[in-house]
Amino acid sequence: MTIVNKIIKLFHSVKDENLKWQLANQGDQTKLKHTRVLAEKALEAELKKKSVQLEHDISLLKTKHDAELSMFKTKCKQDVKDYKQYLAALDQLKSSIQASYTHLPEAVAFTIHHHAKYLLNKMWEEEDFEQKMQHEMQLIRFMTAVHEDARLHLEGETTENLPERTLNLIQRQ
Amino acid sequence: MRLAVPGLPGALTLLGTAMLLSAFAVLIIAGLLGVFKIIVRSALDYFSSKQRVQRRLWFVQARQDQVKRLFYFKARQIKYFNELSRKRLLKLNNRKHIRSLSKTIDKDLLSIKAKLPGTTYQQLQQDHARYRSRQDVEALLTLQQKISTLV
Repeated sequence: MTIVNKIIKLFHSVKDENLKWQLANQGDQTKLKHTRVLAEKALEAELKKKSVQLEHDISLLKTKHDAELSMFKTKCKQDVKDYKQYLAALDQLKSSIQASYTHLPEAVAFTIHHHAKYLLNKMWEEEDFEQKMQHEMQLIRFMTAVHEDARLHLEGETTENLPERTLNLIQRQ
Repeated sequence: MRLAVPGLPGALTLLGTAMLLSAFAVLIIAGLLGVFKIIVRSALDYFSSKQRVQRRLWFVQARQDQVKRLFYFKARQIKYFNELSRKRLLKLNNRKHIRSLSKTIDKDLLSIKAKLPGTTYQQLQQDHARYRSRQDVEALLTLQQKISTLV
């Protein structure tokens, strides 16, 4: 029975030690628990704040996007309108050159008009702003040449049967 | 050496079996309790306010990403439709001018009909119809040149 007694004694002494340790460190333990809870609470509050802030940001972003989209839409609509006007101007160009050169073959007028449209599309489809400006200059130069040819012929200052300057420009490009 | 106690081996075997089985039972019960404890703890953790707030934050972040993506695709869509309507305008315009060119070709062809053999005239007319239906500008222009050189 001595062995059993010894085991029980050992058990009790372990328990005693444990109790003593707990007594000695109770303050630290509660402090630790307390700080842990506090830290958790602080983290939670921070997360909450963050998500509220983010939601606010989202609503701001949404309104901003809506405004930008509507602006973009009107800009696109205006773009198409501009394009339509350009096409009308090119049609006008064709009829004006046909009006001044009465014997101009339809094929030549068509070629001139086609080339002008080609320049216009090149300008329109260019993404780079600088390149776009260059294409626009090209188109304007071309249109001016056509108008100049038409004017000169109408005023009888040239005797050519064809708008030579314009055709030269087409050939050069 | 043999123990001369009758029934002792049987009793010892029984005792050993019982101890083994009860040890197993204790082990299994302890394992089950541990699993149960873990389940309860993780469930509590899952529904703890910290985790909830964290999940909410993730949700909001995902929504922000979604809003950004949506904006990008909407812009793309607007651009696409814009381009489509521009292309349509261009096509209409092209068709109009090709029609006037083909009218001239028709007139030219008719005017030289008498000077051409029947098959050549028919061939030219067929070519013309084909190019026109294809809206092939280059081919129409070359055809016009060909006709004008035939005269």
